[in-house]
Amino acid sequence: MHALVWWGIVLVGIVLAMFDPRFRRWLASMQTAITLLAIVAALSMAGVLIGQNLPYEAYVGKHGPGLGGFIVRSGLSDVFGAWYFLLIVTLLGVSIITCSFVRILRLVRTPSGLRIGKLGSLLTHLSIVVVLAGGLVTALTGFRVPAERFLSAGDEIVVPEGGYSLRVDAARTEFNDRGMLSEYVSEVTVIEDGRDLFPKRIEVNHPLVHNGVGVYQFEMLPSATSIDEARLGVFVSTPHGERGPFEVVAPFGEEVEVPNTAYTVKVLEFLAHFTYDIESRTARLASEWHDNPAVLVQLSEDGEVLGEQWVFAAFPAHDDGGLPCRFVLLDYRPDYDRALTRFEFAQQPGTPLLFAGFVAMSLGLCLTFWTRRPAAPADGGRTGGRAGGSKT
Amino acid sequence: MPSGPDMLYFWIAFGCYLAATVAASLFAGLRKPALRKAVFWLSVVGLAANTIALVVRTVLSGHPPVTNLFEYMSLFAWAVVLGFLFLWKRPGLELLTVFAAPVAFCIMVVASLFPASIEQQLIPALQSYWLWIHVSLAVLAEAAFAVAFVASIMYLIGARRGFGGGASADQLDRVTYRAIGIGFPLFTIGALFAGAVWAQKAWGTPWSWDPKETSSLIVWLVYAIYLHARLARGWRGVGAAWLSVAGFALTIFTILGSVFFAGLHAYG
Repeated sequence: MHALVWWGIVLVGIVLAMFDPRFRRWLASMQTAITLLAIVAALSMAGVLIGQNLPYEAYVGKHGPGLGGFIVRSGLSDVFGAWYFLLIVTLLGVSIITCSFVRILRLVRTPSGLRIGKLGSLLTHLSIVVVLAGGLVTALTGFRVPAERFLSAGDEIVVPEGGYSLRVDAARTEFNDRGMLSEYVSEVTVIEDGRDLFPKRIEVNHPLVHNGVGVYQFEMLPSATSIDEARLGVFVSTPHGERGPFEVVAPFGEEVEVPNTAYTVKVLEFLAHFTYDIESRTARLASEWHDNPAVLVQLSEDGEVLGEQWVFAAFPAHDDGGLPCRFVLLDYRPDYDRALTRFEFAQQPGTPLLFAGFVAMSLGLCLTFWTRRPAAPADGGRTGGRAGGSKT
Repeated sequence: MPSGPDMLYFWIAFGCYLAATVAASLFAGLRKPALRKAVFWLSVVGLAANTIALVVRTVLSGHPPVTNLFEYMSLFAWAVVLGFLFLWKRPGLELLTVFAAPVAFCIMVVASLFPASIEQQLIPALQSYWLWIHVSLAVLAEAAFAVAFVASIMYLIGARRGFGGGASADQLDRVTYRAIGIGFPLFTIGALFAGAVWAQKAWGTPWSWDPKETSSLIVWLVYAIYLHARLARGWRGVGAAWLSVAGFALTIFTILGSVFFAGLHAYG
């Protein structure tokens, strides 16, 4: 529907420009172009200063109910998608087309006036139309959507509009020797018609593009159900109170001794975002985010298992009370080798047109500004006066 | 790595630009040729130290010195001084060219406010050869805009107090136009086009209406208005000078915007 309205405006604009000389003059005038450029700049500045696409409450919270409500109602909270912004950009496009058309006609009538600078200027103007057309094609037919869920090794996902699936073979966050983040890596296999086609390593700046649909590395989280190791503080109950804390570094799934005691501990499970399901009376994962990390610790004494207890990083005072020891989860090292990966899928059919427009614009600008001397000023440049009246 | 040996050269450049600023101020008042010579040599020594600092940093980090605001502003100061030195021998621009020092000094002061630690390891989003192309062309364009800005400021001061002794109004207007004529294509190719190509590769779209992208577009629009007004309407003088000043103010807003606005370009 939006597309039809848009094309309607463009067609009406072009038809009016063809048959109504007054409208054509207005549309092709420099005054109009400058006004439209200034309005686009002003609306863009509003877009920068006012955060875009935030919830209604965010605007009201920041600017108060009056101004916040106005920002949302007037469309300034999504200014680049607002009808008036698109209308102004469309008018600018039609203005450039009209102005270029008028200039081409002038050149055809007086070809002797053709100079390289003029050619560059014409190329620049037409290239802007191509760039806008590229953006329009993408806006009308393209998409960019993040995957709905995080994936771990072994998971499969269908690539929208791509006619193929991906199987994640491995996902990991890589670090350099000094422990600094160096890369997010997703190793995947492309599956089409039920057959494994080829493997691909997807990284930031190295997307997979297949059948015209790109798969981009969007997000990565360390494993939500395993860790490398947990650092625990262990308090031992005695008839006279507590002893400790005794610090223990427990690799995931390995039994380690609690120093100066007869106890051993083992981290059995990890949940990045712990929640307790009352119906099934089981602990489960609320989300992949590390919002409420918890480890299930098993306590043993002389080889005999005494019991298990969930220990929470956010609630150090929590204690079930059923064991002779109390635990505090001091810290843990996430498991980055079994990471959770999230992709973004994108199809941008207008991009080749957009880039072609940019190439033409770059060439046009170089021809315009780097191949000729500036024109001598009309008035010696001593005044701020406007020569006025000339058209593009 | 915290800060490295490049900092010694950074502070030498800082000191030279400061001394050149003092000499430039004296020259503006006294107009003694010896003072201009002092500005020139202090600027040259500052530029050499600035160059060494950037090269050392590039060698130590293994990537271009454009990955945080300290590095970017240091490179910006370097490009600004270089831009003004190109104009040094132009007759009539004696006063204009000495203003390289205060501009570069202000930029170095801003640079010194940001952490100077050297990061050998780039975050994944910045690991691309487009980093070189995108940022280096953008910084050269912004240096050209800085030259235009100084010429415009001088024009505005001259328009109020009279253009006596230095550059004529016409000359300042031409410098502004020529500088924008150099910077505008560079900005289009580097900041917008190369940025769009890189964004397509990294994020799956050439344009996201990210605050930095949008403010770059605004800079482009303002200079486009300037060029249209000047080329096609013959608009010169005070109005055009104010547009050039607005364009540079928006350029600075774009450079420093990532400090204030979240977004895809908020790297530090």
